[in-house]
Amino acid sequence: MAERITDIGPPHYGKFLSPVIKENYGKWVSHEIIEPGILKHVAESGAEIYSVRVASPRILTTLQARDICEVADKYCGGYLRFTSRHNFELLVSDKAKLEPLKAELAKRGMPKGGTGHSITNIVHTQGWIHCHTPAIDASGVVKSVMDDLFEYFGSHRLPAQVRISLACCLNMCGAVHCSDIAILGVHRTPPKVNHDRLRHLCEIPTTISACPTGAIRPHPDKSLKSVTVNEERCMYCGNCYTMCPAMPLFDPKKGGVALLVGGKVSNAKSPPMFSRLAVPWIPNNPPRWPEVVQTIRKILIKYAEGANKYERVAEWIERIGWEKFFEVCDIPFTYQHIDDYKWAYDTYRTSMHFKF
Amino acid sequence: MHKTPLLDQLESGPYPSFVKDLKRLAAKKPQVNDLLGQLERSYKEKITHWKHGGIVGVLGYGSGIIGRYSDLPDEFPGLEHFHTMRINHPSGWFYTTQAIREVCDIWDQYGSGILNMHGATGDLVLLGTTTDNLEPCFQALAHKGWDIGGSGSAMRSPSCCVGPARCEWAMFDTLEACYECTQHFQFDLHRPSFPYKYKLKFSGCPNDCVAAVARADQSHIGVWRDDIKIDQSAVKAYDGGELKPRGGATPYAKLDVKADVVDLCPTGCMSWDGKTLKIDNKNCNHCMHCINMMPQALKPGSERGVTILMGSHAPILEGAQMSWVIVPFMEVEPPFDNIKELTERIIEWWAENGKNRERVGELILRLGMRTFLEAVGLPPVPQSVIRPRANPFFYWKQEDFDAEAAGKKYYTTK
Amino acid sequence: MALAKAELVEYLYKMVEAAQGKKQLKAMDLQKAVLKEHPDQDKNMIKMAIKELIDSGRCVYTYFGGSFIEIPHVEGAAKH
Repeated sequence: MAERITDIGPPHYGKFLSPVIKENYGKWVSHEIIEPGILKHVAESGAEIYSVRVASPRILTTLQARDICEVADKYCGGYLRFTSRHNFELLVSDKAKLEPLKAELAKRGMPKGGTGHSITNIVHTQGWIHCHTPAIDASGVVKSVMDDLFEYFGSHRLPAQVRISLACCLNMCGAVHCSDIAILGVHRTPPKVNHDRLRHLCEIPTTISACPTGAIRPHPDKSLKSVTVNEERCMYCGNCYTMCPAMPLFDPKKGGVALLVGGKVSNAKSPPMFSRLAVPWIPNNPPRWPEVVQTIRKILIKYAEGANKYERVAEWIERIGWEKFFEVCDIPFTYQHIDDYKWAYDTYRTSMHFKF
Repeated sequence: MHKTPLLDQLESGPYPSFVKDLKRLAAKKPQVNDLLGQLERSYKEKITHWKHGGIVGVLGYGSGIIGRYSDLPDEFPGLEHFHTMRINHPSGWFYTTQAIREVCDIWDQYGSGILNMHGATGDLVLLGTTTDNLEPCFQALAHKGWDIGGSGSAMRSPSCCVGPARCEWAMFDTLEACYECTQHFQFDLHRPSFPYKYKLKFSGCPNDCVAAVARADQSHIGVWRDDIKIDQSAVKAYDGGELKPRGGATPYAKLDVKADVVDLCPTGCMSWDGKTLKIDNKNCNHCMHCINMMPQALKPGSERGVTILMGSHAPILEGAQMSWVIVPFMEVEPPFDNIKELTERIIEWWAENGKNRERVGELILRLGMRTFLEAVGLPPVPQSVIRPRANPFFYWKQEDFDAEAAGKKYYTTK
Repeated sequence: MALAKAELVEYLYKMVEAAQGKKQLKAMDLQKAVLKEHPDQDKNMIKMAIKELIDSGRCVYTYFGGSFIEIPHVEGAAKH
């Protein structure tokens, strides 16, 4: 066996930059999007690079990764990158290769898009493919929503960009809390304690301290060496289950999807904002989640119709008011919409500035 | 092959299908066939079939390997162990096809052949291998120049936007800052010794393409503090319709400079009389809107640096937080020693005071901003708040009285 | 008085061994415990002593909602 190597960190990105990028590093002067999915960047020297952005389901097999490599070898000298939203970008320095590349992508079923005022790829998590706490699948919901909204992926027809994200439980590995539309898997049942397993698997003080609402207590029957859950205080975060696998909280019927809307990250015009609860629960309905897909489409259409030019979902809603958002989108307002967690008061209206 | 009537319904439709892709590989790899079988079961029962492991790893490291076990190992023996390996991605997610193929070759040999390009934090994620294969896979990757990424109560793999490699708005070298900090914190990335996770993200401008403000405990966002550069003839070209708004990103044929730019400026610091665009730069809050709208006419200024913001995390436990400003402007250049030093001071304070699973943002709220700022040696600055407190419950410390007695207006660490 | 490296490694190991099955210790818990008994102990040496414990395989990092240092044991979830 060769010498054991550790602590080398990732390779330096410089090894992976194409000659045009290396030569013009830090010297780009402007860009345009010549058509949906194709960005053109121009450098001080006049050099150009075309980035062709292509959809990816994020989960790839090595077969698919090698297919992508084949395309990148043929049209961009083997240079490519991935984006923060899991698309990939083929970095073309020879403009003449754009048309044949587009034809090849179309032939291979690799759609280009995701630029500008589009709906780009949905940032998402593992779901049932690989996670131990999900309420819903991730990849299947993403595929279903993107199939339905596909017309918006390869076009610039919305008032502004719309960023959709998905997290399959409220631990939010996907950190979806600042998205135009956030799809969130939610549990609605408190954990069921398996006393026999708990005794062997879990440490009681850590399990108790895992609960953010203080709902977990030592079991009054000391001989059990277990815990009890005050079900009224549980908000189904699953934090205890991560600490202690003897407390599963899965329920095929009660688990489902919540939608939160109106978040953003960029500072353009308005500051970054959190997504806020629009729909507290939609049934978990694989393989195509039709109710989720339809609700997202409904919100998107109302936004596209109602927003001013360049207005993000958040800016549209803040302008018309949330009470109008619920009315326009025909979404019932429920007790669940009124915050009663920490910092809830920040969301209560203390003015006469509301609409009927 | 397992029958997957529900998953089969995800093969159709215009968006790329992960089911179609996995099925191709299932023909060669029995564990991928089992994965589809178990996933089909989840689709039928609406429940996950994974168990969380907490011990597996490679020798010496406590990070980067996530233990996964099927709860149906008899039916799906290929999934009895199906661990994740997080591989620290290169800055900006740049690759050559040669590099990707090398990773694929190794992963075909030692694992399932399934990857995520990329995981939520940024790592190149390899999904599904056995306990026995972890070490040989790690070493095969290491001999090709790759290392494992972060997980658990550790420094997580830092990530950054495309930066100066392909963006005219990068106010600092995000890729090099990310690389430098990743290398600097190697020990803490592999050996979890913090209260909880710690994420660093680097965005080159306030458009914040890696969502640093929402997803990093310590967020670095590029900023300028002098004047936006204006090319008046290009502004006229936008006004005349020769240049398209937002570089062609929109459904709109022509930019209305007054309505779409000047009137939407959040500070009202711009004016346009049909000939000249004026900006009162002293009142600009560098939101990027006007620059986004007219990328050929407007450029950020030349006095560039980073704003450092602290504390964001997803809702667990106290509710979601976004990062808030602690250093409005810091000049930076490779090797970014000032960022590294500040990060070390912050982490030392947090490691000393934080409880298990307490993110730094939660700790700051629990102990107070003053305690935090004093501990890391930062002065109070008005940029860090939207507005000052409304309540009268503020404290005085001996240091304040000492400063007062010494004739200073107020006590500060600097 | 500060411990020599080899003694420190044993000291740490005994602490982990004593806590096994009762309390999961984090790296910082170990450091704080050492400094309580030996206030002059160099923090970096504690860090390196923990590294030695882990590199030797006598202890491992575990993750159960937080990262801990434990004596290697059979993974609960691995069992059928």
